[in-house]
Order: sequence, then C-alpha cells, then structure tokens
Amino acid sequence: MFSTSTSDPEPDFEKGAVALKQQIDWRIASYFSSCVHCGLCAEACQFYVETGDPRYTPIYKLEPLKKVWRQEYTFFGKMAKALGITKPLSEEDFIDWEDLVYDSCTLCGRCSMVCPVGNDISYMIRKEREGFCAAGYAPDGLKEATKRAVDTGSPMGVTWKALSAQIKHIEKETGLPVPVDIKGAEYLGLLSSLEIMGFPEYISSLTRILHQAGVSWTLSSETFEATNSGIQIGDSRVAAELVERVLKVATDLEVSNIISPECGHAYTAIRWESANLIGKPIPFRVVHIVELLDELQRNGRISTTGKTDVKVTFHDPCNLVRKGGVVEEPRRLLNSVASNFVEMKQHGVMNWCCGGGGGVSANDRASDLRLAAFNIKKRQLDELGVKTLVTACANCRNILEEGIEHNEMDVEVVGLTELVAEYLDPPEAEESGGAP
Amino acid sequence: MSDFILGPFWNFAVIVFTAGVVGRIAMILMCGLSKDLAAARGSSVKGAAGTIARRFFPRKETIRSNRFHIIAGYMFHIGLLALLFFAAPHVQFLKNHLLGFGWPAMPHWAFILSAEIAFAGLILLWLRRVMHPVTRLLTRLDDHLAAWLTFFAMVTGCLALFESFAGLRVLHVLGVELLMIYFPFSNLMHAFTFFLSRGASGARAGRHGVKA
Amino acid sequence: MIWAGVLLLLGTFTLPVLPYLWASASNDIASLDTVQNNPRANFWRNVRTGTAGYSAVGGPEANVLINNDGQNWRQFRMRLLAPYGSYLMGAVLFTIAIFYALRGPVQHLSNEPKELLLRFSVYQRVVHWFTAILFWILALTGLILLYGRFVLIPLFGSSGFALTASASKEAHNLFGPIFIVALFLLVIEYARDNFYRKGDLSWLIKGGGMLGKHASAGRFNFGEKIWFWLVLLLGTIISFSGIILDFANLNFDRNTLELAHVLHGIAAILFISVSFGHIYLGTIGTKGTLRGMTTGYVEQAWAELHHDKWRPDDGATPEASRVPGAPNE
Ligand code: SF4
Ligand code: SF4
Repeated sequence: MFSTSTSDPEPDFEKGAVALKQQIDWRIASYFSSCVHCGLCAEACQFYVETGDPRYTPIYKLEPLKKVWRQEYTFFGKMAKALGITKPLSEEDFIDWEDLVYDSCTLCGRCSMVCPVGNDISYMIRKEREGFCAAGYAPDGLKEATKRAVDTGSPMGVTWKALSAQIKHIEKETGLPVPVDIKGAEYLGLLSSLEIMGFPEYISSLTRILHQAGVSWTLSSETFEATNSGIQIGDSRVAAELVERVLKVATDLEVSNIISPECGHAYTAIRWESANLIGKPIPFRVVHIVELLDELQRNGRISTTGKTDVKVTFHDPCNLVRKGGVVEEPRRLLNSVASNFVEMKQHGVMNWCCGGGGGVSANDRASDLRLAAFNIKKRQLDELGVKTLVTACANCRNILEEGIEHNEMDVEVVGLTELVAEYLDPPEAEESGGAP
Repeated sequence: MSDFILGPFWNFAVIVFTAGVVGRIAMILMCGLSKDLAAARGSSVKGAAGTIARRFFPRKETIRSNRFHIIAGYMFHIGLLALLFFAAPHVQFLKNHLLGFGWPAMPHWAFILSAEIAFAGLILLWLRRVMHPVTRLLTRLDDHLAAWLTFFAMVTGCLALFESFAGLRVLHVLGVELLMIYFPFSNLMHAFTFFLSRGASGARAGRHGVKA
Repeated sequence: MIWAGVLLLLGTFTLPVLPYLWASASNDIASLDTVQNNPRANFWRNVRTGTAGYSAVGGPEANVLINNDGQNWRQFRMRLLAPYGSYLMGAVLFTIAIFYALRGPVQHLSNEPKELLLRFSVYQRVVHWFTAILFWILALTGLILLYGRFVLIPLFGSSGFALTASASKEAHNLFGPIFIVALFLLVIEYARDNFYRKGDLSWLIKGGGMLGKHASAGRFNFGEKIWFWLVLLLGTIISFSGIILDFANLNFDRNTLELAHVLHGIAAILFISVSFGHIYLGTIGTKGTLRGMTTGYVEQAWAELHHDKWRPDDGATPEASRVPGAPNE
C-alpha cells in the first residue's frame, strides 16, 4: 500500500522555512516567551558538559526555530524584520545549525527536565528537525538510513531472508517454534534490525519467555521492523508511512497488542507518535517488552529461579524513562534476577544518555563527539566499579559497547530480556511443577 | 512633569501593561496545538499541576553544577516578591487603588533586608550573564534592558524609601512605568508565561506517565 | 571593554548631576519639599526652640543637648578629612598620569598565534566585579556626601543638592551591607593565592619589572598581594565602622559614632586612592590584563612576562577550566 518513497525528492530552503513555521504551536510559543536565557539547560546536556562548548547549550540549538518565532510572532521581532534590522531566516541558518540540531542532540530529553520555566527543549528540537529535513539539511548517514528504511523496511537493509535464517537457527537452539504470521494471535512482536543482526539472543529469549508465560504472539514476515528513521531525521511523512506498515500487519493479523522490542525510540514511535502521525487513535495497545515482562511476572506467568550475585547496574534508555514513564518496571525485573543491583548516581528520569540516541548513532560524522559524550557514562560506571551493565535498548547497547571498547574498559553489556530468560525456570520444571 | 508622571503617563503604562500581557498570552494560545491521540498513561492535569509546582525547586541532580545560579536566582526573586507585595507603601497602594483590601506589611528592617537580598541577587545574576560563556552566547539586548530597568525601578524605590522628597517617589513611579511598558514586549513575560510553559510540558509528561 | 570603561566614566560624571536635572524638571516638588517635608528640618527646628537638658528617655546621652565633641568631629571632617583627602587622591591621580606619560603602557610581546590561558574562573570574575561595582557605587555616593557641598553646590546650585545628597545617603546605606558580603566572598575566593611566597621580595626589589629588569612572579605578584591585603584591612575597617553608622539607631553613643565616622572616612579615602593604582594597572597600565578579568583568558606571552611562575590550572575551578577557548572556538 505504501511501497513507494514519500520523502520529498527535492528538499529546498523555502520548504524548510515553511515547515519551521508550521511547527510553532502554543507550546513552543510559550516556551520561547518564557525562556530567560539563564543557561541552566546547558549543564543538563552531556554534549555541553563533556566539551564545555557553549554552542551545545540545548536552547541554543533552537536558534533557527526561535528566529522564525521571533520574526513572526513578536512585536519587536516583526518590527525589526520589517525595518531590515535583523536578517530574515536564510540558508545560512540551516548550514550553521545542522550539526547542532543533529550531531549534538540525542533527543534524550534531559534538558527538558531541568529548565526552571519548564521548557520541553527536546520536543522543540524534534520539531525543528522537520524544518531542517524539509530544507535538505540533514546528515547523510541519517538520510541513507531513512531511504533504506523506506525502500527495504529496515534502516540497516535487513531483509526477511536474513531474519528467517536467524529464526531457523533460534528454533534449533531453543527447541521452540518462533511463531510467524499467525492470524489471531494476541501480540504482534516487533524487532529492530540491530537485534536481528547484532543481538539475536533477544529473539530467542523472547521466544522462551513468552512460551513459558503462554502468551500467544507472532512475528510478521511482511513488517518486522519497529524502529523509525522518519522520527529521527524529522520527516513526519516517512515516519507516518513506517508506522502505517506496522499498523497494517497488526490489522491483517488481527492482534490486539503490539510489543515494542528493546529499543527506546521505536517505543516512542509506536507507543506515542503513531496515532498522532496518522491522525487517528490506534486500536492496539502498545507495550514495551520490559513493561510486558513486568506485567507477566507480577501476574505470576513467568517464574525464575536463582539470581546472579554479580554486581550489576542498569542504564535507563532515555525514551523509556523520560518519554514513557517506564522507570520502575525494569528495576522490578532486574531485582528479581539479580541480588546485587546498584544504581548509578543519576538514574531513572535523570539518567545520562548513552550518546547515540535520536539518530546520532546513524550519523557517522558525529562519532567523535558521541565518544566524547560517552565519557560521562564512563565516569558513572567507573564510580560504581561494575563489570556488568544491563539495559533495555539495542541501540543503547550498541553505543555503550562501542564506548566501552573505545575506552578499553572491562564491562559487559547485557539486555534485560536476555538476563531474565537466563534465569527462567527450565521447561521441564514448569511442566512437572506447574504454576499454582 | 510630576503631574504628568503620576497622572496620564501612569494610566498609559497601566493600559500598555494589561493589554500587552493579555494580548501576548492570547497570541501564544492562538498558535494552537494538535490534540494528542496516543492512549494516555497518566493524567495530564496532574502532570501540569505537578510540574508547575515542582519547577519552583531545582532537581537535586542539578544543584551542584548550578548552585551559584540557584542561590542568586532565589535571592533576587524572593527579595523582589517580598518588596513587591509586602513593602508598606505597596500594600497601601494596592489597598487604596486596586484591591480595596490590604494585608500586614513587613517591618522596616525586613524591607531593608529584602532590598539588600534582591539587589545582591540581581547584580550577581547580571554579572554571571555577562561572564559565563553560555549566557554570553544566549543573552540579547532584551535581557540587559530587562535587568537594568528592574534595577532602576528598585533603586529609585529604595531612594524614595523615607519619602523625604516627593521627587524621589515620582522618580520611582517613572521607573515602574517604564518597566511596565517594556514588560509585555520582553521576556519579563516569563513572570506570567511560566505557567503556560511549565503547564504544557507537565501535561504532556503527565500523559506519558513521566514525573517531569 | 572599552565601552564599559567609557560608560563607567560617563556614569561617574553624570550620575551626581542627574538628580539636579530631575529636580529642575520637577522644580515644584523639590523646592516645596525641602522646606515642608524634610523631617530632619522639622526636628532641628524643634530642638532650636530650646528644650531643657533633661529627658525621661534612658538612651545613651539622652540628656545631653549639645555635645562639644560633636564640634571637634565636625572640625575634623571639614578641615582635615575633606581637604587632605582630596590632596591625597589628587596626588595619586597626578602621579599615575605622570608615570603613564613617561613610561606608557607595559606591553608584552605578542607572539602569533595567540595562545590563551584561563586566568580567572567565571565565579572569580563575578565576585571581582560584584565587589568592584559596589565599590564604585559606594565611592561615588560617599564622595558626594563628603564633597558635594564643595563641588556640586557651587557648580550647580543648592536646590537640587538636597535631593542628590539624600539619594546618595540612602544608596550608600543600602549598598554598604551588600559590599560587606561581596568583600567576604572575594577574600575567601582569592586568599589562597595571596599568601607570601618566596621570590616576592625580589619582585619588589626589582620594582615589579617597572625598572627595566624582568621580575618573575606566580599567579599574583607581590604588588597584587599587597593590594589584596589592603583590601582586606581597609575593607574590614570600613565595614565595621560602616555598620555602626548604618545602624546608628542601635544605641551607639555619640563618641563611638564619631570614632566610626573618622575611621570610615580615612579608610575610604585611602581605599579610593589605592584603587586608582589598581584600576590603572589593570586597564591602560598593562596591556592584556583587563581581558583576564573580563573574558577570563590571557595571552601566553602576557603570562610569561608578568606571571612566569604561574601554571594556568593553579587557581581556576574545574567547572571553568574545561571551557576550551573563547566562545566561537
Ligand atoms: S534552562 Fe530554560 S529558561 Fe534557561 S536558557 Fe535553558 S530553556 Fe531558557
Ligand atoms: S535532548 Fe539531550 S542531547 Fe538534546 S539538547 Fe537536550 S540534553 Fe542535550
């Protein structure tokens, strides 16, 4: 139905300027009206904290959008523009700000938690990217990922063939069937390409846990990708199309729930943005796998034996804590399988981002900056002296592993689902003992 | 001159201020907002109320790195609000000209103390503004004007303190009038719009089940 | 930077005059008020009616109607403090002018490309200027109170002076206590690097490098250290005496108040005189010094000339030392 690319073939400045203006809703107007230029948001952003470069101050990344607001919505701004005192928005603004808008922001939302007047800065940066994308000023890495996502269904170009090979392998390994295209299943499982290629353990863990819990679920061979490059680059039409693909298979397979994989922004995309992107509420409940596992465990549908006594800590994916309120769920799960779980100093809604969210991980030219930003995570880990870091996002996991390798640290990163699966009661015990 | 300042110009300032503030808020709200269609995880009303209340205090995680600003910021705002609403002449003025009822004013020593605190805070905040690389980058003429006008209104107010000279009191009124006229066009508006911005973020966060 | 200096000078000359303009613009009020509304005038009018030397009030000297010490104090203020103070300040300014004419500014060799070193953290700069601004306000209003009648009244007449003097007094009393806080913060922040170190004496013997030979110094040279301790000493005297004067209603007896006033005046005149030297050396006297206190950064060549034994990370706080360069890279 949506097989051809809807991304605009010829982005240009005019389209960008118009798109920027369209983004301004009363929320943004109130944010700009309230900002007192105190600079407190700077200390919340790891790119500023780690480089000390004032250009990485969160609100400064919004200068182009702010300029549009000032010149269109304020008295002095309009006057100054009319008198030619200030220059109107120009191509220069896009050129000068592209790296600030894409390379130095992971849309982590940490700045939005600290602003004294309550500005949701990451919300605005997400919106600002719509203008930049329409004007054609987005990093090549992201553009390519977006194009691949539209053309092949996966930002990494992962095909069903590759996935089905993995599935065969997993079925052999676990001795359990991986349900595919089962009409009428309760849950539709989604994956991220990164999991398929880098962390297939996730798929086998998922299979084992859901099997034990007796959840009826299925994968779809038509659309299995949960991530959404359209949101990261700021192209609502692409984002909507990618979301529509998911919703289409969910409808076709007559499921009532959709499971977001261990991926932060995929959760945001399907849980929070999907309905708004297509302009109507969606008839499915969307849960992150961590939410689902917690729910199942609390209902006594999954049981585990034993705990690891290795000292572990948890890296909160930004999208879960600051966009989705999923804070307690992973902690309950983790405590059920680890006896020595310690928190980093700043955790939960004030965690520090891995440095690779918001499309930064797909943006090669940002890699030095990203590694600089990782230093803050490194300090957090060093402080605790943990050797095992648990997280619930494949992208975080990938970026964390890169940072760990780069800094030659001795830390292992584990997915939470995988850790839970490791302590799952073996199938025999389940059959003989039975759940009360 | 003093007749003009106390008479027509005062009325003018009041009109600009009131119409300006109401107009600005109306203009903001007129920008519209698309409805959030995603299923809620929590209450947006509670979220808005919570964020409006919580952002009066810094998050504990950020206190260390921002301590200077937090202290100076509190000093200025608390001092200023105390002066604004509890200085004896102000209480008198509000009672006689605006509200018809009054409340106990603060004693003289408290007035002096509030003024000292507010001045120290204002000067420190302004100095940080011109010294810190981040605020240097963000600051515009507007921020300076707002700070200086506030300083002027406060200084003349304190000079008029003993009302030994009506001339100084008129000067204070002039300072306040200038401030009121400038107010709706500047980011002094944050004194009103912080409700909107905190509320908007809080509502969204509340819907998403986030304690922001 | 230059503009700030110009503004400061302009302000110094125009601010005392402004109330005059104001008074002349609103002449009706000022002239009426001075006669009718000034409570002090009414008070003295009452005293002059000649009440007897008894009072039921138990405060200090409540029953003393005319105190002869008061006359002595007045003589000191008008005959000694005011004229000799002005000679001293004038002499210092004159010396500086002569020195500048002969020697000119001290230049450091500017080696390209300019490498910048962080000399003062944001907090250190803020505290410095916090103290400096308050010092300037207090010096200006204080000088108006002491010299206003000699300078302003003859120049601009007396009708507006009442307003100027009253405003100056209120401002002086208001900002005084804040200055004490500023002084406290300043001393705490800067004390560490201002203790005597080996080599300081030889810096002094070489005349701080002004006599031709290079004088080496650490983060602060001996001259700066002397200035620091003078600030502490004079500042303390001024603060304590100032508090007594500011809160004169707290039952201090007249002699205490007079003593406080004498000390306050002498210390203030000395403070202002020495500050001329500090301001000169910090601005036009030595090239490249001022930017250390405004942007926080100094040039490598400047540091080698003036503070060769200083290592940049000595005194700056970590928060600011991560700032790699001037704002735009
Ligand atoms: S913290 Fe908020 S008010 Fe302060 S500069 Fe940042 S966005 Fe503006
Ligand atoms: S969302 Fe995160 S990365 Fe982006 S500006 Fe804010 S704190 Fe920085």
